[in-house]
Amino acid sequence: MNASRSEKRLERKNDELMERSGNFENPFETKGRFSKYARVPIYLLTVVMIAPYYWMITSSFKSVKELQKVPPTLFPEKWIPGNYWDPKYDPNMFQQDVLQGLFQRFTKVQFGFGRFFLNSFFITTTITILTLLIGSLAAYVVAKHRFKAKRAIYLVIIGSMMIPWQVGLIPGFLLVDDLGWLNTFWAYIIPALPKAFIVFFLVQYLSSIPDELIEAARIDGAREWTIYFRIVLPLLKPAMIAMMIFTAIGEWNNFLWPLIITQSQDMANLPVALALLKNSGAGNIGTQGVIMAAALLVSLPTIILYFLTQRHFIRGIALSGIK
Amino acid sequence: MLSPFVLLFIVWAVYPVLSSLRLSFMRYNAICDETLSPCGSVGFGNYTYLILQDSRFHKALLNTSLYVIGAVTLGLIASLSLSLALQADTRANRVLRVIFFLPSVTSGIAVVLVWGWVFRGDDIGLLNSLLNYFGIAPVEWLATPSLAIPILIFMSIWGGAGFGMVLFLAGLNAIPAMYYEAAVIDGANRRERFRYITLPLLKPVMVYVVITGTIGAFQIFEGVYLLFPTSVGSIGGLKDMALMIVPYLYDMGFNRFRLGYASAVAWILFAIIFTISLINIRVTKSLEDLR
Repeated sequence: MNASRSEKRLERKNDELMERSGNFENPFETKGRFSKYARVPIYLLTVVMIAPYYWMITSSFKSVKELQKVPPTLFPEKWIPGNYWDPKYDPNMFQQDVLQGLFQRFTKVQFGFGRFFLNSFFITTTITILTLLIGSLAAYVVAKHRFKAKRAIYLVIIGSMMIPWQVGLIPGFLLVDDLGWLNTFWAYIIPALPKAFIVFFLVQYLSSIPDELIEAARIDGAREWTIYFRIVLPLLKPAMIAMMIFTAIGEWNNFLWPLIITQSQDMANLPVALALLKNSGAGNIGTQGVIMAAALLVSLPTIILYFLTQRHFIRGIALSGIK
Repeated sequence: MLSPFVLLFIVWAVYPVLSSLRLSFMRYNAICDETLSPCGSVGFGNYTYLILQDSRFHKALLNTSLYVIGAVTLGLIASLSLSLALQADTRANRVLRVIFFLPSVTSGIAVVLVWGWVFRGDDIGLLNSLLNYFGIAPVEWLATPSLAIPILIFMSIWGGAGFGMVLFLAGLNAIPAMYYEAAVIDGANRRERFRYITLPLLKPVMVYVVITGTIGAFQIFEGVYLLFPTSVGSIGGLKDMALMIVPYLYDMGFNRFRLGYASAVAWILFAIIFTISLINIRVTKSLEDLR
């Protein structure tokens, strides 16, 4: 009973915060003397912001002939799907005006380009779920338990955030190599699991929640795991959702570590596959359409996730930034 | 319950850091051979060579410093102006905020590939097509040393201004409206209200944006890796015009397999970031004491 009530209170408080951020209008600052033209630069900048996305979309539907045109066409004269999949493509003969579509490349890899999607999807979801699970468990113990080494452990965790992750890059690589994990999912997933920032963020969030709830449950004889799943997790929901989105987007776009640990094409994640594609096309304008198609497909999932979770997203940034 | 995290943390966070510190005082190449390529302690050898003699590293340091200064200051101005321009809660502004934030969630590699096309040196490059329209000869954007850093700064602002904007918007909305009301009653004009209310109250956000921006900028890698390759097995572009600290670390560690040397580069990166963060905090503190 108690749990759900305070949970609701917390949610309401969060919503109030949300209501204020973004929905507050300052009556004294909005109208200026030049208001009629003051917005022009903003709209020009917006064009600069959208242009790369526009270019990704339109050129992924252009034919090679059209891509080679000088000056380039702003709008495709004819929309063709060939950069993704050209039904006329035949690997055994060369034909003019026929493309080797994105999903017709990487023939040595099972499922072709789709394989990289499967890799990225598997890696991202596994890391996100596991890292949040172990991170929230640790945060609960640090925030709501008393024991001897607690302060020391938490200090080390927070302190590690000051060290750029590249410092551990080379020993991390050597360790993965010694374990024989190079070019496996283990190398992607296991080293990515302990994330200090998640513990830090969740401890901050938990410390604003009164201890009484948990103590009451403990007196009632609830076991630690019950407390964690029934009380702590529901309370942490808003913070967990924010961290989930951050982690998922970060892992989806991760590049340097995957670049180092992959040795064969079939273990690449999407960003590494994009780089492979770019290097294989090496400046040939004809492959630009395929590259743009790939870039678009890699970008879309995170953009969709962002659209679906906008509220949580902005709240999460505000919470992690202002404190 | 704490143990899964702590165990993983010790193996994959604490151990690599300590081990990298040890490696940074060693000559440690991919193949350790007693006669051909011995591994072992060199004391401060890696560091003294990096700091005193390695001209490629000096170039990387210089490039990174210029890049960080440009990207952080211009990025701060851009994101603050954006947040002020898009503060009012109208439908149009809500759409614009989303658009400006989009690059923060888009794959860096995907974006860099589009910029690669924009800055192509031939007349198929988009910027050159635009110049051509105005009758200007094409420019070798990515092969002109003086343009490398400005291009990378531009890409960083395009990609990061929206993130700063969101932080500043949160900061702006936390300023109570009554402060402005009181200022208006006291006869303060727009500029004074900005100077004496908005700016001071946004200072914590500004410090945060500058510190996180600086740390992020020092770690630039993807843009250099994809846009400025050098022939075979190297990185940094023509005459190392775009060589930066992390790309240099990658080059030393994973192209040349000089793992000890690369670890020393990583620790110098840490020292720089740490010092700058400390200075930042000190400066803001002492400025506060002045009031």
